[in-house]
Amino acid sequence: MTGLTRRDIGRRIAGLTLATGLATLGTAAFAAGEKVAVVTPYLSQPGTQFYVEAFQARAKELGWEVNVIDTAGDVAAVISRMEDLATQGVDAIVLNVDPAQVGAGLDAAAAAGIPVFGMDAGTDPRIKANVTSNGYAMAAETAVYVANRIGGAGNVVMFVFDAFPPVQVRGAIADAVFANHPDITVLDRVTPDVSDGGIADSRAKMEAILAANPEPGSIKAVWAAWDQPALGALQAIEAAGRQGEGIVITGIDANPQAREAVATGGNFEATVAQDFAGIGATTADTVARVLAGETLKSNVIYVPTRLITSANAQE
Amino acid sequence: MASFLRHYGSLIGMASIVLFFWIALPDTFMTLRNWLNISQQLSMLVVVAVTMTVVMVMGDFDLSVGAMASLSGVVAAVLFTQGLPVPVALAGALAVGLLGGLANGVLVSLLGILPFVATLATLTMFSGAAFLVSGGKTIFGRDIPQGFADFARSGLPLGTWDGKPVLFPALTLLAAAVTFAVWLVLEHTLYGRRLYAIGGNAEAARLAGVRVTALRLSAFAFTGVGAAVAGLMYASRVASANPVQGDGLMLTAIAAVFLGMTVTRDGQPHVLATVAGVVTLGVMDNGLTQLQVDSYVRQVLVGAIILVAVSISALGRRAIRLR
Repeated sequence: MTGLTRRDIGRRIAGLTLATGLATLGTAAFAAGEKVAVVTPYLSQPGTQFYVEAFQARAKELGWEVNVIDTAGDVAAVISRMEDLATQGVDAIVLNVDPAQVGAGLDAAAAAGIPVFGMDAGTDPRIKANVTSNGYAMAAETAVYVANRIGGAGNVVMFVFDAFPPVQVRGAIADAVFANHPDITVLDRVTPDVSDGGIADSRAKMEAILAANPEPGSIKAVWAAWDQPALGALQAIEAAGRQGEGIVITGIDANPQAREAVATGGNFEATVAQDFAGIGATTADTVARVLAGETLKSNVIYVPTRLITSANAQE
Repeated sequence: MASFLRHYGSLIGMASIVLFFWIALPDTFMTLRNWLNISQQLSMLVVVAVTMTVVMVMGDFDLSVGAMASLSGVVAAVLFTQGLPVPVALAGALAVGLLGGLANGVLVSLLGILPFVATLATLTMFSGAAFLVSGGKTIFGRDIPQGFADFARSGLPLGTWDGKPVLFPALTLLAAAVTFAVWLVLEHTLYGRRLYAIGGNAEAARLAGVRVTALRLSAFAFTGVGAAVAGLMYASRVASANPVQGDGLMLTAIAAVFLGMTVTRDGQPHVLATVAGVVTLGVMDNGLTQLQVDSYVRQVLVGAIILVAVSISALGRRAIRLR
């Protein structure tokens, strides 16, 4: 055994520094206010960031201590962190992940008596309320836009995706709107292959439909349940040189590419924007209502969406 | 003193992390319920890390375990959707793990490709296969049999505490069983000792009559099957399967083995040391979450702890050499 060397002392100091650092972090967390945790595997996605920032801004006004936990795509880690939060005893947990995948975490929160809220998550009996956009309403906006633009008559091509429930409801509403106009005929109800993102296959499908219907005016509109097929259809129409026929295209979601296409004033005329910031702020308000003792009647709370046309696409 | 630090420095470090959280979180950290929680959260990582230890003993490693975990979960889920009974689907997924592991073994030992290159290539293939098999989608809901999803929430009842039932989690039991089996193989069989001999000096081992090629090949079966088991545990825990869900296990498992190596007397990977490494990482996640430390700060701290532990170990080794 040699004596205490300089290196040993250095090591001890390093250890102490680390421990003090951790202690500082720890005490910083023991401030007053309701403790609310936001758990998401998807923080790096743009939509999620909008929700979370708006949530944090509202929570700051309410004087809460917010802990945002990003598990970087790991859903099992969402369960683990929910269990930790249940152990710690936070006042509320906000989720941004499909509740069907984190059932064990919901059980842990329920056992600890901690209310859980969904921020565009999905419904579950163990979730007090899910705050989201109304898919039915978004589809109604664009389907009615199409029906009005073509004067309630003509052939319409639909792009749908019934395998994914949130998109399926959009198709169901558009079906109802078009069926309510006796002179509108749904020429084709296409389910594109989405493995490449959906644009390329939608374009190919639309090219085939254009080839099968060469007469100008034989296709009046393309209604797409989300933006990618609308963009694919636009590319197909432009590539076929038929952009002058006045074919009306609509999408949903208002992604940046779709917004740009709508802003140029071409065939892609309308899409619907979700109010991500509104979802974040409303989620915070909903948490506040429950923490104040209110019992929510409905377990889904919708935040209004907005139709985007060339008039407001650049805002 | 140097040798004391070399041998016990990391253990003391690990203990002080636990002690720190115990003091910072007096009511919630050092409780049976929390530790059962941690054990359950870590069960998948334990299985991957412990089986990873088998190849790291030989100085090899396997980068494909995360992708294999994803693949096995997806394979089982797709077999569920075909209406196959649960045991058949699980056997199918484990068979995929075994074949994948053996494929890695063939590439590394028979063809002599560097483990880094061979398993990086199979990582890409397994990941692509997981996307192919699942069509890129998350399989969940009614497609996942209730019995399979319930496994991850079940356990041995230990009685009640605070009026709530306390379970010894089934996932923890499974991880403990895998750990025990691998510990037996590595520490108490000729096979295990030969793997350590290969890690010490492959050429010397070969000259001493150890069938290096066959042993190296077979050892990769452990990582393949271990990854498949972990993938099934993951799928059961989240009651769903998607083609990327296990990917994160790989780096953390390797980190845990390295962290574990800092507590062993010989500086070699050992099963129980690996478990200590996993627990350290898990305790950091659990404790820092409870302390409401930002998740990005948490990541930086976890990385820093690994570096500190490995540095202490390296410095200790140098001090011994210099003596």
